[in-house]
Amino acid sequence: MLKKLTVIPEQCCGCRICELVCAITHFQVNNPKKSAIRVVSTYPHPMIRMPIVCSQCKVPVCAQVCPVDALQWSDGIVQLDQAQCISCYKCVESCPFGAIYAHEECEYPIKCDMCNGDPECVKKCPTGALRLLPEIALGESKRLNNVLSYTAMKEIELYEKGERKVIRYAEVGKEEL
Amino acid sequence: MSVKGGYFKKELSVDLTTGHIERQDLSDSFLEKYIGGRGFGAKLVWDNLRRHDFKIDPLEPENLLVVAPGPLTGLYLPSSGKNSFVAISPATGLYGDSSMGGGFGVELRQTGIDVLTLRGRASELSILFIDGNEVAILPMPELKGKSCLDAEAMIKERLGAQVAHVATIGVAGENMVKFACVNTDWSRNAGRTGMGAIMGSKNLKAIVVRGNKDLPVYDVLGLMAEADKAYKYMREHTFFKMWQAQGLMNVVDYANLTGILPAYNFKDSVFAKSEQLNGATMLNQYKIGDSACFSCSMCCGNICLVKSGKYVGTMTEGPEYETCAMLGPNLGIDNFDAVLSAARLCDELGVDTISTGNIIGAVIEGYEKGILSLADLDGREITWGEEDAILELIRKIAYREGLGDILADGSRRIIEEWNDMGKIILQVKGLEQSAYDSRASMSMALAYATSDIGAHHTRAWTVAKEMEEGRGWSDDEKVGIVIYHQKVRPLFDMLGVCRLPWIELGLNELHYQKFYNSVTGNALSLEELLALSNDIYDLTRLVNTRLGVSRKDDSLPYKVWANPPLTGPNAGKVINQKDFEKLLSLYYEKRGWDEDGKPPASLENKFNE
Repeated sequence: MLKKLTVIPEQCCGCRICELVCAITHFQVNNPKKSAIRVVSTYPHPMIRMPIVCSQCKVPVCAQVCPVDALQWSDGIVQLDQAQCISCYKCVESCPFGAIYAHEECEYPIKCDMCNGDPECVKKCPTGALRLLPEIALGESKRLNNVLSYTAMKEIELYEKGERKVIRYAEVGKEEL
Repeated sequence: MSVKGGYFKKELSVDLTTGHIERQDLSDSFLEKYIGGRGFGAKLVWDNLRRHDFKIDPLEPENLLVVAPGPLTGLYLPSSGKNSFVAISPATGLYGDSSMGGGFGVELRQTGIDVLTLRGRASELSILFIDGNEVAILPMPELKGKSCLDAEAMIKERLGAQVAHVATIGVAGENMVKFACVNTDWSRNAGRTGMGAIMGSKNLKAIVVRGNKDLPVYDVLGLMAEADKAYKYMREHTFFKMWQAQGLMNVVDYANLTGILPAYNFKDSVFAKSEQLNGATMLNQYKIGDSACFSCSMCCGNICLVKSGKYVGTMTEGPEYETCAMLGPNLGIDNFDAVLSAARLCDELGVDTISTGNIIGAVIEGYEKGILSLADLDGREITWGEEDAILELIRKIAYREGLGDILADGSRRIIEEWNDMGKIILQVKGLEQSAYDSRASMSMALAYATSDIGAHHTRAWTVAKEMEEGRGWSDDEKVGIVIYHQKVRPLFDMLGVCRLPWIELGLNELHYQKFYNSVTGNALSLEELLALSNDIYDLTRLVNTRLGVSRKDDSLPYKVWANPPLTGPNAGKVINQKDFEKLLSLYYEKRGWDEDGKPPASLENKFNE
């Protein structure tokens, strides 16, 4: 089953452990500037921390602009063939998400290769902001949120062991039987 | 033995007066002996003092400001985002340091240096931009009067450097408020001992760093394996989730329960409405996001937003316990909205929340007791919990307006102006006390008294342990635990890592020994490392005794002797001065210092090479 590295920005705390793990895994160095995932933070308006990493697009813009066809989508990963790559960095500039990176000491663009299907960053993320999900599950939480926020629902609030909880329920029709 | 990893072996020294910028080599023996961070800072400040015959005015150009991450800063291991600022403190006139989290230290190291030293004074308000190998002092007078947050945003935009990290001062730093702090990543501060004032005295609004170098590590995979063990230990700890959720705010309940929470300028040590200001309230009603320093899985930072009412829209990272206690209960404020607002204001103006809360608390009590007249307060009354007046006073301190001009000079000046304030304000050596009451904890009292930078809790935070299990401690045990903390704790600041995984989650010191050895390729035992760490405590003591500190300065605030907390589990308790003096003598004896608190003169040779 095809799996996708998914980012949940609301869960990201901005610790950048993913950056370090990626750089160590691929380059054996402690250098967050050599990773294929970077946390971008804005503050205070709006306040967002979002890891930016390749989405492995099935119609990859990076591959379209690559003059030597060094980028190919196969088995859910946009693979960079270093033997073909001429390091023109057109892919870096064209990615709509800015998810391919360059470093002056690295010969090739730095791009997520999904660590052979088992990304290290997902394993080391302390807050669950990075997840590996089957494609079929993508959007599931949004769908669920959508359902839960259904406007005809009613809400009651309660505290259980000091934790706020909300119970939502639908008012069942009161009309005479 | 040569140092195989961990360092670029480079110091970047900048003279802001002449514009002279130089990269100097650091010797292996220097690196091995002082490790980094606070260790480098203490040694370089000591050398600078010797060059100036121990006569340095903290706010004059000759005061050296050392900015030092450690050899572990920026590496894959728990909470490695720390960076120390070290100089002679304007608040105490003695050794001072403060560390900040975030990502500034990491980026500073990635420019290829181990330590940055600053001296002199720029002719106009400037920033220092370290962009990899290129270093420039750029005049930016347009930053004058900008808040820390605005300045950071403006600088990033002006330089086109969104990925850069910026350590900046606010208006308080520019105006040399003696407890001004240095701010980075919008809300991480090197808060204590007035390091922001020193940047202000040098006309330096900000230090901007952008680097991309590999951090030197001797055994990368060995380090990673060790780090994974440490992360795993933390992840499996019972309190790990609670730390992620509440961070240091969980301490509010604990402090209130054990009676060490300052309320109404330490008149009391419990606060009736503390549940309105505790971690659960923060989590349930205010928190909108997590925030972590570099490589930290505990992510103790909380992004909080006020969602309704007078302060609607106020957003800040934090507050953590100290800020919440000093700007909340200590000022009689029971409204978390107002605490957040005050914390945000302090971030923007760039003042230390601990000293600010402490001083304003003393002002309110001083007015209540008639020591301060209405005229002293510029005609505006201020009483417990009066949010508007308190926020206004914070602003006046940063801008040095009216009463604020005196308060901005810290507790020493306040006591000079109004002698009786000495009985009300809680300070040691000129530094205002942190938010842990010491009246029921002899070891904490000793820790405050013997702390090198003044009444700050991080030097030896023994209060929790004494509250929990130390009721029957002997003098030996009390002194022992203080010395133990003072011996271990510098190590974290030297290595450039946060101590919270150790002190809060119990991550064993041995992990740090392994980290150090993997990074540097050395093979030191933990005892050897701790001996180096302990040396720094001796060294900073030498700095202080050379600057005139003696037994009389290792004392405690008047309140600790004379005014017990009114209610709570520690009601009626004070520190007995006779018992304390006895303990202090024992402390000196165990430290190998004389009855007056002076280390042996021969010790200086150790640090003079």
